[in-house]
Amino acid sequence: MSEAPVLFDIDLNVPLQEFDLELEYSGSPKSLGVFGVSGSGKTTFLECLAGLKKFDDGRIVFDGEVWLESAKGKRTKPMYRNIGYVPQDYLLFPKRDVRSNLESGKKRLLENGLEFEEVFGNAIETLELQSLLDRRVELLSGGERQRVALGRALCSGPSLLLLDEPLASLDSGLRRKILSYLVKVRDVFEIPMVVVSHNPIELQALCDEILVISEGKLITAGPPNRVFTDAGVFELAKEGGFENVFNGRVLEHSGKTDIVCLESDKEETCIRLPVTGIGIGDKALFSIASDDLMLSLQEPVGLSARNCLRGWIVSISDSGSRILSRLSIGEGGPEMIVELTQDAVDDLKLAVGSEVYAIFKTNSVRILV
Amino acid sequence: MVVIFVPGLAVAYLLSRKDFPGKHVVSALVTLPLVLPPTAVGYLLLTVFAERGLLGPETLGFDFSILLTWKAVVVACSVMAFPIFVRTAKLAFGEVDPRLEDMGKTLGMSAWRVFFSVSLPLASRGLVAAALLGFARSMGEFGATVIIAGNIPGKTQTLASAIFTAQQRGDDASATALLWVALLVGFAIVYTTEWLSMRQSREGGRRK
Repeated sequence: MSEAPVLFDIDLNVPLQEFDLELEYSGSPKSLGVFGVSGSGKTTFLECLAGLKKFDDGRIVFDGEVWLESAKGKRTKPMYRNIGYVPQDYLLFPKRDVRSNLESGKKRLLENGLEFEEVFGNAIETLELQSLLDRRVELLSGGERQRVALGRALCSGPSLLLLDEPLASLDSGLRRKILSYLVKVRDVFEIPMVVVSHNPIELQALCDEILVISEGKLITAGPPNRVFTDAGVFELAKEGGFENVFNGRVLEHSGKTDIVCLESDKEETCIRLPVTGIGIGDKALFSIASDDLMLSLQEPVGLSARNCLRGWIVSISDSGSRILSRLSIGEGGPEMIVELTQDAVDDLKLAVGSEVYAIFKTNSVRILV
Repeated sequence: MVVIFVPGLAVAYLLSRKDFPGKHVVSALVTLPLVLPPTAVGYLLLTVFAERGLLGPETLGFDFSILLTWKAVVVACSVMAFPIFVRTAKLAFGEVDPRLEDMGKTLGMSAWRVFFSVSLPLASRGLVAAALLGFARSMGEFGATVIIAGNIPGKTQTLASAIFTAQQRGDDASATALLWVALLVGFAIVYTTEWLSMRQSREGGRRK
């Protein structure tokens, strides 16, 4: 029986100034997130994947192709790795227009047997670059540069996208816009990607598996909603707390609110959101902070909060400074993390299996995309 | 200039980007003609191209017949202009962000394509400046030229040696006229290179 090779098979050791980056990972996520505070070695990891580091040691196998095997002295040059790299500062080629930047990887795309016009058209449509094509890159804004850099990567026919802090240098309004482009790119192009970020929400929105790095060491790995509620990781990400990120589809517009049904859901669960501006039937991505949720043992009456979801406590864990309780919404429905105090847990006698109602205001829901 | 442009580019790029054993020795050798007395360089060339020299007819088996011809002027000027061209070109390449070259590689470009479609265009202004400076240097070349090419009017006489001849003859009018030519051309070149290098460092793409 031959098994398909895992997508990523990595065992790296890279000496850095303050510490060594040591990372071992093997798995096949469609979209791999790398989380860590700044200076933890995330960008180095990405550069190793791109083949831009000269002193990496170990082994990198992507989709069955050996990119690095230092024991055998093998190191595939960046030009043969077939990657689309989008660095944090975009590195667009100056003194050229957008079109010329987008075409800079055309040769490889053709070599990969793809139709340039098709990919180019697709990228332009997905990233809305049409009006920018003849503009010189010096005249672009930050968000536009990001889109062009993404487009350039896509137009080189890559088999793996590497995104370094794709949203970090943008202000919050733009972030939401670019995040929606990233989600579109992920869904339209279906190219595996590695996203490096210090923002848990971005990674939850984009990735199905997360590696957490601190000072060059892998702390934990797993699906986003497990990883970010891990006590150690929660502390790393504490400034933002935990956000429950959900995918849904807009069911109806009702006055000043929208009703969105959660996706991948056996039992239909609908949530009331502030006006999303998203068309009926279209996808919506939104989040609710774990400390914006409250629990009740009975179904509340006469409450102004519009959202009340019935669920069961799956686990209760102590992150050190806070108690995190994991709920399952409905039968086998999505999970949700609620932040509680020890007093509340004691008073309500909350335990695994307790039936509870999770309550939150329409306006506590943040629309991401 | 035409003669040294390509090898000069290659040496400048290597010195600016690559680490190799003996890099400093190469760098020093390249700069040497800048600091040696030009007549010393001329004499060195003379011995190299002499009958039994390293590149002389007897060693090579055929004759370049360089000495005392216009070819000698080209050789002398090239050797003397090489250091200033390489040094300026090296600075021009230094202004190009190496990460942009890395970016090119990740897009599947070969080393040659990265050089021609990323590094060269971004360094172009500085390279033009380098070529102009090299040209200016060869225009002013006297010592080495006089030794291997002589000072034959209409044949191997350069601007520099013409001024020398006019002055020696006491022909002040010709000397002054030639001086003006030298001044104007020289000023135009230096002014242009200054302007170009200013724009180069602003546009080289390297982050400050």
